[in-house]
Parts: sequence; C-alpha cells; structure tokens
Amino acid sequence: MNSLLLLNGSPRGPRSNSMKMLSRVAEGWVRAGGQAPEVLHLAQRAGFDRAVEAFSSAGAVLLGMPLYTDSMPAVVMAYIEALAPRVAVAHADGANPALGFLVQSGFPEALHSRPLERYLQKLALRLGSPYAGTIVRGGGESLQAMPDEANRRLWARLRVLGEQLARDRRFGEAELKAVAGREHFSPCQAALVKLIFKLPVVQFYWNGQLKKNGAWERRFVAPYGLAK
Amino acid sequence: MPITILNGEPEAASAFDAYLHEIAGRLAEQGHAVTTLELRELDLKGCSGCWGCWVKTPGECQKRDQSATVCREAIGAELLLLASPMTMGFTTALLKRAADQMIPLIHPYFEIEGGEAHHRARYARYPRFGLLLGAAGGSDAEDLEIATAMWARMARNMKSKLVFTAVANRSAQEVADELAAVA
Repeated sequence: MNSLLLLNGSPRGPRSNSMKMLSRVAEGWVRAGGQAPEVLHLAQRAGFDRAVEAFSSAGAVLLGMPLYTDSMPAVVMAYIEALAPRVAVAHADGANPALGFLVQSGFPEALHSRPLERYLQKLALRLGSPYAGTIVRGGGESLQAMPDEANRRLWARLRVLGEQLARDRRFGEAELKAVAGREHFSPCQAALVKLIFKLPVVQFYWNGQLKKNGAWERRFVAPYGLAK
Repeated sequence: MPITILNGEPEAASAFDAYLHEIAGRLAEQGHAVTTLELRELDLKGCSGCWGCWVKTPGECQKRDQSATVCREAIGAELLLLASPMTMGFTTALLKRAADQMIPLIHPYFEIEGGEAHHRARYARYPRFGLLLGAAGGSDAEDLEIATAMWARMARNMKSKLVFTAVANRSAQEVADELAAVA
C-alpha cells in the first residue's frame, strides 16, 4: 500500500510548475517511509498509456495539473475519460486506489481553482477511491521566474503534505489551507491591487518576455476582430 | 445573429450529434448565421503552455493547426455554444482541447474585475457563452452543476457570461427557441 503513482498532468511535461510542486510532495512521501513513486507525464504518449495501465495496481495516485481555462487541461480530461472502465468496479472494496490531486494556477487567489477541486472530489467518489484531498495553490507561474530558494516555505509545506499522504492517506486540512494562501481579495485589497496591477512594473514577467521576443509593440493586437 | 457552435462530440453518428445538427438547422431557419465547428474533424494539437500566443506572436497560437479557426469563429460570434456529451461528469476532452487553445483571445496581463484577478481583454467585444450537455447515464444533477460552474468561470475569464445552459432532454425546437432568445 506504500506505492505512489505520481501523475503530472501539465501539458509542459517534466519542465513544468506542476512537476516542481509534485516533486516536493513526493519528497515528503518518501521521507515518511513511502516507496519512491513512479513518475509519469501525461503529456508524453508513453507516460499517458502507462498511467492508464498502472492506475488500478497503485496504492495511491497523486494527479497534479495546472488550471487551464478554469478547469483541467485537455490531456487530463483525456486521462479521466480513459479511466471510465474503472467506474464499473468502483464499489468493489479496494478496486481503485486512493486519489489525491494538486491544482496550481497563475491567479493570485485560490478561489479560481475551487470548481475544479469540487469536480476532482466527485471524480474520486465516482471511482470509489478514498479521497486524499486537493492541494490548491495560486501564483504558480511565478515559480518559473523565481529561484527555487525563494520558495523554501512552499516546498517545506508541500513536503509535509507528502508525509501526511504517506502516513494518513489524506492531506491535513490546516496544511492545505496554508498552501492555498489567499482565498480571495477583501474589498480593500481588491481596490489596492487594482491600482497596483496598473503599474508597468507588475507586468515585468510578461513585458520582459514580450521585449525579448521583439513582440512588445504588437502586444495588444487582435488578429480576429476589433482590439480593445 | 452570428452563432458559433463548438461540437465536442467525438462520434459522428451519435444521437447527440444528430440532435445538435437539428438545433443548428432550426436556428438557421430562424435567420441566424450558424457556424458549426465539428471539432473531431479539425486538426487541434492542444495547448502546450508555451505562451507563444502571449509573448511571441500576440493573439495567435504558434502551432500549425486549425485552432485559429476556433478563435476566429468564436470571437466573430454573438453567441458561442459549447456542446458536448457528458463523460465522467464533465464535457469531453475534445471540447476542452479547443477551449484550451482559445487563450490567444485574452491578454496575459491581469486586472481586477468584480473583486477578482482576471485576464485583460484583447478584443473590444466577446461572445456570450452557452452550454449544451448531452445527458449520459452516470451523470447526476451535481455533475451538471459542477460542469456549469467550471464553464461559467471560463466565460468570465473570456470577458463574458454563461447565459444559457441546457441538457439534451428537451426537443431541438425548444432548445433552439431558447438559444434564439439569448443570442
């Protein structure tokens, strides 16, 4: 039961923010005595096929993904569709593994990921899988721009969640809340952030990329209609 | 009124497919300019998160596929109808693939809207969104509610609103009439 199937549902594959976060959860899992997990990338054909095959024999499955247009990326939905035959055995005791999830998004608030979290919880129920919980984290895109050192607290929390998964088969509520960070802006914060978002310096990540690619002047073009 | 339908049904000969085409026909009879994109017939490579459409060729996906057709027809419509059978409690991966490749329609910059962070608009106007779900065995009211909530969030991030949701358990004429009323 100490085996973990670690599934990275990011379309970016191994070099993704989702994988960065999943790796830290896996470190905690191993630290708490779990076997080194099998890591598969759903964006890679071989990884996808192996993930379908390995699902039923895993002790636990952790499926991580970025939020894409407010739900799961298409490749994750394709994987969920491939699990449809497992619904038929959902009520056989232990037929399907415990399921935990990780959803990270570029938005600063966690609320954007909550409808997907609700779907994933229902998915575990549909499969008759014990639900370990969903790690939700905003601000994911900044992980790319920041040195790993700057995220030490987040990595430590993700390791704790991995330990909890190995030990209790469930993420702890307090740790999930701490990792999620800001759920939503208060009215005062929203007013302040509204002003801050207007400062060019706030868009330094995107502006830097646009300038590097010689696309800065065209950043507001609207090729299929009237520009804002 | 220009209406674009994204047909996320993977099977060409299904009852849902026939139902959807009947709805499209009724809307056309009422004088609406209906464009149905059969997503299963389009070459859609899927979004790989490269952000090329935001930082290299703003507004355009860099993949050599037909996702530009989806973006063009979506932004040119007054109403964008997302149509799909329910599978595992949600819409199909096929529909999701098309939706993922619609991010060139918005801008990477964030702004605050309704107290939340959302992407800035790239276009002056966006279509209203509709959702038509094929009722499938194994789906319940909660599944519909969750699927609707996720697509409503997407509509909001696409500077729009989900103004119509229906399950394919009513006549094509009824659904067409309701769509015409919100289009």
